[in-house]
Formats: sequence, structure tokens, C-alpha cells
Amino acid sequence: MAEITFDNVSKRFGATVAVNAASFTVRDNEFFCFFGPPLSGKTTLLRLILGLEVPDEGRILIDGKDVTRTGPAARNIAMVFQNLALFPHMTARDNVRFPLVERGVPAAQITARLEEVAAKLHIGHILHKHPGQLSGGERQRVAIARALVRDPAAYLMDDPISALDARLREEARVELKRMQREAGRTLIYVTHDQEEAMSVADRMAILEQGVIRQIGTPAELYDRPATSYVAQLLGAPVMNLIPPGLFATRPGAALVGVRPEDLRVTPDPAGRAEVTGVEPLGGYTVLTLRAGESQLRVLLRGQPAFAPGQRLHLDAAEERLHHFAADGHRLAG
Amino acid sequence: MQRSLPFQLFRYAAIALALAITLVPILWMVSMAFKPFSEWQSAGANLTWIPNAPTLDNFRFLFGDSGSDLIVALDRTAGKPILSSLLSATIGTVIAMTAGTAAAYGLSRFGSGANLPLALIQLRLFPPMAVMIPVMMMWAFLGLMDTWWGLALIYGIVTLPFAFWLMKTFFDDMPKEIEEAALVEGCSRLRVFTRVTLPMMAAPLAAAALFVFILNWSDYLIALLLTTREWVTIPVYMASLSSSMTGQLYGAKAALGLIAAVPPVILGIMIQKHLVRGLTFGALKQ
Repeated sequence: MAEITFDNVSKRFGATVAVNAASFTVRDNEFFCFFGPPLSGKTTLLRLILGLEVPDEGRILIDGKDVTRTGPAARNIAMVFQNLALFPHMTARDNVRFPLVERGVPAAQITARLEEVAAKLHIGHILHKHPGQLSGGERQRVAIARALVRDPAAYLMDDPISALDARLREEARVELKRMQREAGRTLIYVTHDQEEAMSVADRMAILEQGVIRQIGTPAELYDRPATSYVAQLLGAPVMNLIPPGLFATRPGAALVGVRPEDLRVTPDPAGRAEVTGVEPLGGYTVLTLRAGESQLRVLLRGQPAFAPGQRLHLDAAEERLHHFAADGHRLAG
Repeated sequence: MQRSLPFQLFRYAAIALALAITLVPILWMVSMAFKPFSEWQSAGANLTWIPNAPTLDNFRFLFGDSGSDLIVALDRTAGKPILSSLLSATIGTVIAMTAGTAAAYGLSRFGSGANLPLALIQLRLFPPMAVMIPVMMMWAFLGLMDTWWGLALIYGIVTLPFAFWLMKTFFDDMPKEIEEAALVEGCSRLRVFTRVTLPMMAAPLAAAALFVFILNWSDYLIALLLTTREWVTIPVYMASLSSSMTGQLYGAKAALGLIAAVPPVILGIMIQKHLVRGLTFGALKQ
């Protein structure tokens, strides 16, 4: 049970501003996601929450208590590191037990808790091995078990399933989401995979060079991106950003954005768009079009019959258009 | 990988040749150690690889039994020098490793700037002689001349930079997240060090300790300058094994050399498991 609040927190490393005046609140029991490209400050935010870094400015509060200068051990937060950081000289069992042993939990309780977590993560059969003898996926599960074994105020995870292959990742994120619901704890999650972020997060924060650009539910961010940067970060294929002219445009708009799935196309020999590429993906087909000076991507269901060179009528519903000012900010309305 | 028989034969032949070349001095020493006086003394006349009449006379001689056919007698036996070497090299290694490891950890984790680590090896920029003469005077003033503890202290000081640099490299190579994980999971800084860092460093520590021990064990110059009689070490004592009548006492020297080779070899075997891991530590991040 923890509500984590950043109040105008900044952190610099030499000349680099890793986190710039971040203010936000992660609510109790929330699955909260930091999302952004590499070096955008995601990991620094986690380290600030853990107490591994002390902010240069601002305050950090956990459940209303100022912990800005509290050491990591006293914050009662569990962490899964990106490189997992298992203790190589200990067996998986001793790794998972470690947080309880260090906190002086009675032995009988440790054993019970260990068995419970091992069963949940299916690692009972590998507990006697050292991390060096485990596969990547097994190590990941042991690292997650080490975080889950105690009862912290919040869990932090730094891209913990990045080493898994695509299919296992999908399973793992569903599993993580379920475990977070069951544990009823705040979970702060860092990922560079937008699909992963959107699929698990209750709310997410979008980072760009140490600045939080927007916070909201995945749907809010997707439907009403605050800047053209956020708009392009979420969604695949990425949002089409084109100069005004092709669609009805509000005054002041320097860029018009339209998501590939919001574009409507119909064959029309006199149409203004020309097909330049067709990528059938099974359930979906991605068309690449040229219309005037702009190139656009269109996402269509199924496998409609379009061929390169074909001319199309192109159009989008007015309410599905996003208008951005020259500085990248969304125009109101 | 299955390779052809001729290749295997060639491989082993090459290895045998390499071993023969590198091990000849050792073999020669072992052989000499067990030769009676008549065989090692007139080496030019009848050179033998293997003693014709193997004997332990050389060893007996070292420990004061003059029942051999040597006409000389030693004014002191090898027992005290061996004890002196063992004490000074071991305690010196303990001093260097303790201080070196602590300093390396501190500077690796909390240090800033590159100058301090470099300053620690500046002693090495001078020829040892230039440093040792002032040390000799200090030791005389402090009453540390010709004592095993005086020797142990200077060994610890002289090999400290090696211990420091070896350990610093190992600490620098260790992923910092492992210590951070322990911090987050409830350890104090000190407890992280004893519970996580040191156990992980067992292999590098063993390798560095062996290296430092061998440096101390084989020192000649410092012991020559800082000991005179009571606590001379094996190398200094070995140099004194000669007589005006027979010249160099090669048999006794070989026997003492063989004894001197024992501790490093035993240590090496004891930590063999760690040694390879220690020397290749950086390559083994998980």
C-alpha cells in the first residue's frame, strides 16, 4: 500500500539533466508505467524512488512521508533490476530468501513464504541451483521471486522481461499484471516496449530527455496525445504527421496527425492518393500511400486487394484528427 | 571436438617439449637436491641428470646434521630463516590484502578522480634501492631492524599497491546493481560488503593474495637490507650458503630451493579452483 509522490524533483549527473522538475503521483495499488526511449530518465526515476539516488532538488514522498533523504533499506520497496542483479555466489533459494533473512524474519515463516512464492513462479525445481546454471527465463523468475517474497509497500521493475522472446514476454506480462492485482500493491514498471506498456499499465508517464511529457491512462495518451512527440511514441505503425492541407485543418495547426487505423480508403481512379507499398500481416494489412508531398501509412483489417500504383480516395473523420502547433503542443478542442 | 590421431600426437609432443624447456631448471634443482656431495660438487666431470646415489644429506645438512661427507659445518641451520620467511611473507600478505582490499573498495565505490589510485603506485617509480635506504634508517630508529615483524610491516607496505590495484580492477568490474539489490533488500552498507561483495570476491581475493604472497616470499633486497642475523629470510640465508673450502654449496641450495617452492605450490593447489576464475574475473559477468 503506497502512494508515491514526486514534488518538483530534479537530478543531474554532471552536465546531463537526467530528471527535470518531475512532479507526479503514483496512486495506491496502481500499475504505473514509465515509458520512453533509452536515456530518457526512466531508470533514474526508479533509482530515485528506491533511494539509490538523492535528488538535487525537490521532495519524494511515500504515503505522505518525506523520504527524500531516507536510505534504500528503510523505504520498504522491492526492485527487479534490468540485469536482474542476482547474487551469483548464492543458490536461487538463498537469493529468494535474502530479503527475509536480512530483515530477521523467523525461519519457519521464511520457509513458508519461500514455498509459496516458488510455487507461484514455478521455480521449486531450480532452487538448489546457482544463477550461473539457470537459463535467462529462469533467472528472471528468480529475480521476480526475490522481489515478491516480502511484503513491500511497492514493487519496482526495470524492464524485467526484456530478455525473453516475444511469445514468452506476452505470457509474462499477463502473469505480472495478474500478480499485481492479486498482491494489491503499487507496481512501477519501466519498459521501452510501447505495446507492453499499453497492455499492462493502469496509467503511464511518457518521458522525453528527463522531462515527463504526459501522464494518463493508455487510452487517454493514445487518443489525446499532448504533443506530437507523445503521439509518435505510441501506436504501431506510428501516427501519420503531415503538413496541413490534406485534411480539414484548424487555424494555427502546423502539423496534422492521423493514426493509420483512422484513415479510410476507397478505390477511386481520380483519387488523390497512390499506393506505393502493400504489407500483408495476416490479420492486418499496412498500406503505404503517397498523397501530394506526404507519405502516409494506413492500417486495414484483413487482406484487402490493393496493388502498388493504384489510386485511392483518402479521408478521415474530423474527430479522429489531431492538430499540433509548431512547438509540438496539441491544439485545444 | 574429435581430431585425428596424428594431430593429437603432435599436440602432446608439442606440449611435452614446451614443458621440458620450462621445467628443466626445476628438474635440475630437484635432482641436485638429492645428490650426494660427490655428485654435485664436481658437476663438470661427471654430469648426471638423475642422482646415482640419491640421498637426503643436503636436507640433513641444512638442519644441522653434519654427518654428511661435507667437511664444512653451518654456523646456523635453515630452521629460523624458514620461520622468518613464513612469518614475514604471511603477515605481510595479510597486511597488504586487508588494507589494499579496503582501499580498493572505497575508491572503486566512493572515490572520485583518477589521481589518488595513481598516487598509490608512485613508490614504484623509484628504483627500490632509493626507497629502501631511507626505510632502513627509519626501521633502525624504530627498532624494527632484524625482526620478522619489521619485515612483515615493510612487505605489507611495499606490496600494498599491487593488492590495491588488483582488487580495484575486480571491484570496478563487478556490476553495481548487485550491491544495490542488497541495499534495497535491507542491508546496510557494511553488511552489503560482508554478505555480498566479499563472498563474490573470494576468487579474485585468493588470486591476488597468492600473487602478493609470492612477491613477499621471493624478496631478497629488502630482507638483505633490513635483517642481519636473527631473522634473515630464506633467500638471504641461501646466498650465504657457501664456504671458502668448497665454494657455493649447490646441493644445500637446491635442497633449500625445493623447500622454498613448497608453500607457494601448496597455496596454488589449495586455491586452484579460484585461481582461474580470479584471473579471468572480468570475463565472467553473468
